[in-house]
Amino acid sequence: MATEIRLENLRCQFGRLAAVDNISITFPASSVTCLLGPSGCGKTTLMRMLAGLQTPTSGDIYFGEQRVTDLSPSERNVGMVFQYPVVYRGTTLYRSVELPLIRDRHVSKSERKQRVESILDMLDLTPLAGRDVSSLDNATRQKAAVARAVARQPQIILFDEPITNVDVNAKSQLKRALKTLVKQHSQTIIYVTHDQTEAMTLADEIALMENGRIVQRGIPRELYNHPNTRFGGWFLGNPGMNFVAHDIQHSDGRAAVAAPLFAQPIRLNGSINLEHVIVGIRPEQVRLGVKTPTSVQGEIMRTAFVVGGQQLVTLKMGEVLLKAKTHATHVLTRGALIDVDCPLQAVTLFADNGERLDVTLKPDPVEQSL
Amino acid sequence: MTALEFRNVSKKLRHTVIARDMNLSIRDNSFSVIFGAPGSGKSTLLRLITGFEKPDKGEIFLHDQPVNRVSSAERNIGYVPQSFALYPHYSVFDNIAYPLRLMGMNKTDIVPVVEGAARRLQITHLLKKRPDQCSGGEKQRVAIARGIVKNTRIFILDDPLTGLDFKLRERLFDDLRQMKEELAATFIYTTSDPLETLILAEDIHVFDGGTIIESGDLASVYHQPQHVRTMALLGYPTTNLFAGKVTQRNGQNVCVTEIFTFPVEIYHAAHPDLDVQVALRPQHIRIDTTSSNGLIKTNADITLVEDLGGELHIYLEAGTIALETLMPHHDAAHVTEGHTTIGIVPSDFKLYAATDHRFIGQGVY
Repeated sequence: MATEIRLENLRCQFGRLAAVDNISITFPASSVTCLLGPSGCGKTTLMRMLAGLQTPTSGDIYFGEQRVTDLSPSERNVGMVFQYPVVYRGTTLYRSVELPLIRDRHVSKSERKQRVESILDMLDLTPLAGRDVSSLDNATRQKAAVARAVARQPQIILFDEPITNVDVNAKSQLKRALKTLVKQHSQTIIYVTHDQTEAMTLADEIALMENGRIVQRGIPRELYNHPNTRFGGWFLGNPGMNFVAHDIQHSDGRAAVAAPLFAQPIRLNGSINLEHVIVGIRPEQVRLGVKTPTSVQGEIMRTAFVVGGQQLVTLKMGEVLLKAKTHATHVLTRGALIDVDCPLQAVTLFADNGERLDVTLKPDPVEQSL
Repeated sequence: MTALEFRNVSKKLRHTVIARDMNLSIRDNSFSVIFGAPGSGKSTLLRLITGFEKPDKGEIFLHDQPVNRVSSAERNIGYVPQSFALYPHYSVFDNIAYPLRLMGMNKTDIVPVVEGAARRLQITHLLKKRPDQCSGGEKQRVAIARGIVKNTRIFILDDPLTGLDFKLRERLFDDLRQMKEELAATFIYTTSDPLETLILAEDIHVFDGGTIIESGDLASVYHQPQHVRTMALLGYPTTNLFAGKVTQRNGQNVCVTEIFTFPVEIYHAAHPDLDVQVALRPQHIRIDTTSSNGLIKTNADITLVEDLGGELHIYLEAGTIALETLMPHHDAAHVTEGHTTIGIVPSDFKLYAATDHRFIGQGVY
């Protein structure tokens, strides 16, 4: 049933702006790929080209072996779920899910019944089957839209921020439904969102977009733990990664970094001929009140409560500000000094242009005397 | 000194009661968040402060001066409305300059003030553009710049970050706090978002049902909410709440709920079979508790695990009760959907009276 999606040099230009800038990528069959990125990164334009709602400026789209670039939306056999659920007033939920199947002459009456009932059951919609769709709340309407798209059994389903406009309380319910669905169905799913939590929760793979390009693609934890770019480190995580510029000290052909995050020079593992690097570290990986040979002292500037009662602490080391997440019960006094330890294995290094460097920090006791 | 005070203020808008005999006192030079559910009337409250609306009853004071009869223009308040409300046919510069022109400031004096506000919000490069050439986040910065351009001691921000995506909001959090530290002024800020409140507020005023149900510095209100609505609203994920009954067993007060039974200490006179609401903050639910002693335990099913990056947000069902918990990722990497045992430290159960919703006691060993 399912089919892979292949893009070849796909480009969409609006005036001088390349909304989608020469993307070549294959989304594997039977997997969920989230197109993740901020407003304006081109994810919706890319989705619209897949659906046939937007003509590419150049490049090609293949579903399996079939080139679909010039096909109309109806010829592409894709299901779509939009940000705002489409509602047919005066139609029962059952009927609105059944409708696309009635139009399909290849589906027998008994099969139609079986498909509709099984999807309604999976999404816990059976008790509401007789209700008028327009009388349902937004989250349930959106579930109905999902049921309608899935019941047709298209090879590909496209989701365009289906959860964004659902109220907070219903969001988890809808996410749960989507998660059940993607586990049990084998369609190829492309899911567009700007919400990293949705992407991290639902995706087999995330394709992270910035300025019309896919800057990284991989399994969610891989993107979170090893961002390819400074943008990725910032975008995933809340708040995102800290970035602190460090001068590189070169001596005897060896390169090392020290202040402001490290009390003594730390050797770089790998060759490098730059003057400085950017040290990236996630707030939850900064350890507070832990004294090590490399820890430094920071002044506590501000504290705030964040998710789950943790404290988000803003620290000042010279001119540099660093954010750290710590336990709710950690007593922190504004203006006080505290030991700040950045574990070397938790650090990612970036070049000035924002690209990750293939260089790590080397814990090496010999270097203490450097 | 107080920057703002409401004394017994009542206000109806058509048939909706916005404020009912309401008292509110906002500390000078504080970042004060008026926190309440959507649709609770927060915007109207702010319009009473700016003078766009008049109270039906009661008196409003700004810096200890009664202002009921002072016009909106004379109150000299910086205001950032909820919708950007930018003039589409004006440049960004002219939008920011608008309040200064209204005050009658002359052209040559306006330029450096507008440029200063633009620099503060990093929108200098936008000054010549029109609002429709700006992104959503940029428009919001323009609206904030216009709100802070006046030299004044009170700034009012009406839910200014609503509708912006999370990463934009993250940047603006830092900008707003920075601004507060640089401008010696009072910031009065409304929102219905608990995380925004927790990140920005120095003082918090919980607005619910036409009145302030609880006020104070953020840490004490967050750690010891005296009203169940504060407990329910202030925190992310939202606090777990379920019904319970306090009864006496062998001379000891015990709280009985569908999923837990535990001894409690009641601070106020209790009567037999007291109906309570039991509150349990998400971070206080422990998962996989086989080795821990002294916990109140029950069986539960994990129905959804959401990955927030640094944390996992875990949804559970125990009996008919839905619970949420949150754990740092490094503590919970092994958690998956399915059957589990959860455990609670007894003192993490907080009890609120079902009648007046006030805090009355907590679990004990």
